[in-house]
Amino acid sequence: MPPEKEVAIEMVNISKVYPDGVLALDKVSLTIYKGEIHGILGENGAGKTTLMRILYGNIKPTGGKIKVFGKEVSFGSSKDAIKIGIGMVHQHPSLVPVFTALENIYLGLPSNFKEQVSLKELIERTGIKVPLEERIEDVSLGIAQKVEILKVLYRGAEILILDEPTTNMTVEEVKEFFSTLRNLKKMGKTIIFISHKLKEVLDITDNITVLRRGKVSGSLPTSQATPEELAKLMVGREVFLKLEKQGSRPGEKILRVEDLWVKRNDGSWAVKGVSFEVRYGEIFGIAGVEGNGQSELIEAITGLRRAERGKVFFKGENVTNAHPLKLYTMGLAHIPEDRQKTGLILDMSVAENSILGIHRKRDFLRPMMIFNENKIKEHVERLIQQYEIVVSKINAPARSLSGGNQQKVVVGREFSKTPDLIIASQPTRGLDVGATEYIRSLLLKMRNNGKAVLLMSSDIDEVMGLSDRVAVIYEGEFMGISETSSVSEKEIGMMMGGYKMGEIGIK
Amino acid sequence: MSLQLKLGERYKEILFSISEVALATLIGIGISAILIKAGGYSPTSAFFYLFKGAFGNLYGLYTSLSYSTPLMLTGLAFALSVRAGLFNIGAEGQVYIAALGAIIAASLALPSYLYLLAEFAIGIGLAVMWSLFAGILKVWKGVNEVVSTIMLNWIAYWVTEYSRSNIFYDPLSPDRTIRIPITGRLPILVENTQLYSGIFISLIVVIVTYVILWKTALGYEIRAVGLSPSASKYAGIKYSLVALEAFALSGLFAGIAGVMETIGRPPTYAIVTSLTNLVNLGFNGITVSLIGRNNPIGIIPASIFIGGLMAGATSMQIFAGVPLEMVQAVQGIIVMVLALPGIIRLIKSKIRRR
Ligand SMILES: Nc1ncnc2c1ncn2[C@@H]1O[C@H](COP(=O)(O)OP(=O)(O)O)[C@@H](O)[C@H]1O
Ligand SMILES: [Mg+2]
Repeated sequence: MPPEKEVAIEMVNISKVYPDGVLALDKVSLTIYKGEIHGILGENGAGKTTLMRILYGNIKPTGGKIKVFGKEVSFGSSKDAIKIGIGMVHQHPSLVPVFTALENIYLGLPSNFKEQVSLKELIERTGIKVPLEERIEDVSLGIAQKVEILKVLYRGAEILILDEPTTNMTVEEVKEFFSTLRNLKKMGKTIIFISHKLKEVLDITDNITVLRRGKVSGSLPTSQATPEELAKLMVGREVFLKLEKQGSRPGEKILRVEDLWVKRNDGSWAVKGVSFEVRYGEIFGIAGVEGNGQSELIEAITGLRRAERGKVFFKGENVTNAHPLKLYTMGLAHIPEDRQKTGLILDMSVAENSILGIHRKRDFLRPMMIFNENKIKEHVERLIQQYEIVVSKINAPARSLSGGNQQKVVVGREFSKTPDLIIASQPTRGLDVGATEYIRSLLLKMRNNGKAVLLMSSDIDEVMGLSDRVAVIYEGEFMGISETSSVSEKEIGMMMGGYKMGEIGIK
Repeated sequence: MSLQLKLGERYKEILFSISEVALATLIGIGISAILIKAGGYSPTSAFFYLFKGAFGNLYGLYTSLSYSTPLMLTGLAFALSVRAGLFNIGAEGQVYIAALGAIIAASLALPSYLYLLAEFAIGIGLAVMWSLFAGILKVWKGVNEVVSTIMLNWIAYWVTEYSRSNIFYDPLSPDRTIRIPITGRLPILVENTQLYSGIFISLIVVIVTYVILWKTALGYEIRAVGLSPSASKYAGIKYSLVALEAFALSGLFAGIAGVMETIGRPPTYAIVTSLTNLVNLGFNGITVSLIGRNNPIGIIPASIFIGGLMAGATSMQIFAGVPLEMVQAVQGIIVMVLALPGIIRLIKSKIRRR
């Protein structure tokens, strides 16, 4: 870092104790230079959002100093922060869905607002193109995110805080989003990019500050960072990003899918004649860009959606369109894609959720279907301990858990069924490094113990890293099925884009 | 150690409920006061007698409790359906048809000790069947339960009214049916009041339902279906079965209410012209349920409150001289204002679940 670089923000010994006594930040110090993209990395709950809300004047620190462009500041509210050129795009979208992009940008401007550049000019200069007349509810999350950024820039922001902006974006959207950020950097804007995804932070930032449990655990230029080093700083211990995989010893077939056809809700074909099989002792991966029929395929196999044509065999028995209950009793477990709508009942307690689907198991019942609450308590406490689920009490509603902990409840419950085949859809989406590693290691252990795993994920690294064989789905058809070892990431990427395996020179 | 959200954590919610009810009552009273004033009567004296008639003395209290007896059950019928995600407003008709069942039993020549049993069996049987009509239409053909229960309510009304005037009328007093034989009646609890022993049955049913909903796999499935259809499907819960169970149970509750009102409440022990001794028991149950947040335990105080409103209305008519029509209007206004917050909550949660 050349010494003549101007310091944009200096935060010194910032602490924050929330009214309920949570020490969210403990003497955090941080320096951000003008014109850089500064990454703030940390697991869920590390304090990233808290730190940024303090910088934005949203909440007051319990202690510490903030300097912006050399001058000490003390914000009464975020209005003061906006005045000196700090803008923040929050983790959860804050646009009004029924208003158009344009209306949202103008919404809430102070009456004495004087624009520095016209919106049109701003769009031209930054290259952030959004359909201004479309309603926010009709545009993708990637576009909504851009609208938020425009809104902040229009208010004259020089320093941009982006709190986990890529959470809900597709791979393509992230790519485009990053080029926008690079553009803004060229214009001299300072950007604070918050994430718990190593890859993204390594890709886009100049400097990185890592937070762990409210403390800075490391601060380094991106050029000197490795994924292993960052993961270690985040989690506080050695993390194995590449899981050790022994050679597979696949056995008999456990699942066979034959020419399956499945419709979407709107009646169009989502899956058009897919065939494959999964064997004991292997992980079979299904890769693909989201929305290409993989969700419907999994739903049809697990009894949640009608298969219009074709057959599914499980352990040799024809289970096409069988009731989920039948599949469960035969030894299937399912980690569904949408944990909030399908995997959990958010308004029920953690304890109640821990028995969802196994609530009629004899262990949990007394005569007359009365719950044996002691047994259920034992069960949920075992899950909490084994899967390190952070939960205030077992009666807390599942809604009150963080996304990662919600997923752990689902995963723990499904593994507790001791299944022979586990179908895992996007099992680590939105999870931090520690939880991701843990869930992946569980899937590998299943396979090493001779059980079977069907893994559906749109994370190429995950599919490639875990699967023994991989299929790529595109517009409802398999582009190819291959041993993972004999296909490259690039080839998988091409198949995800619609090239058949034969067309790219793999037999 | 219980598994659902603890009562302790609900203190805030309970306090909030009470202040909500208080505020709604005030608003209701305010609107009604304008109406009473416009009609040329004194609002102060009207509301004085309303309160006095409801809880002002022992007699009023007993009357209020007697009115709460069927409301607890019809409230429960609605609450259980809501828990299962159903908007079942069929309790009204099921009350009529159950009352008819009790009269049918009374018309039979039976050994005297069998009347009570027969009244409950036939009355409840008919009510459950009535409720299951709507249930079967729902799970088999997807017919919206609001529509089907409204239609079934009207059918029940005319079937019962026709039977009253053409089949089971009392030749000595054709404005009502034959009366329940003395051995077929529920004992009175307090002499010279309308409070009959049915209130214990209501309380027991409410508590048992509470246990079913929160301590058994059956209740778990009912709540799961109501809270998240997609998650309950994933959990292997059979929606049609659970929905039918919910319809049957709410038919059972409304059935008990209808039978008890006929065989328990003095002095009539019969069904009278236009079913006036039964009308609105089901609909007022909806209000009771909404005030009680669709929770069996909340339904107990809610039903006593609405029961009091009904008891007080009579005294308002008698002592403050407010005409019956206006009393009914006042009652309607207060009930409606009271139900409003609950209705809004219900609609909101439906939308959120989309
Ligand atoms: N409004 C709040 N009240 C109490 N505790 C909070 C609040 N917001 C966050 N916390 C707690 O502070 C810690 C840091 O949270 P947060 O800043 O949101 O982390 P991150 O953004 O890194 O995921 C967590 O333990 C969280 O539970
Ligand atoms: Mg955050």
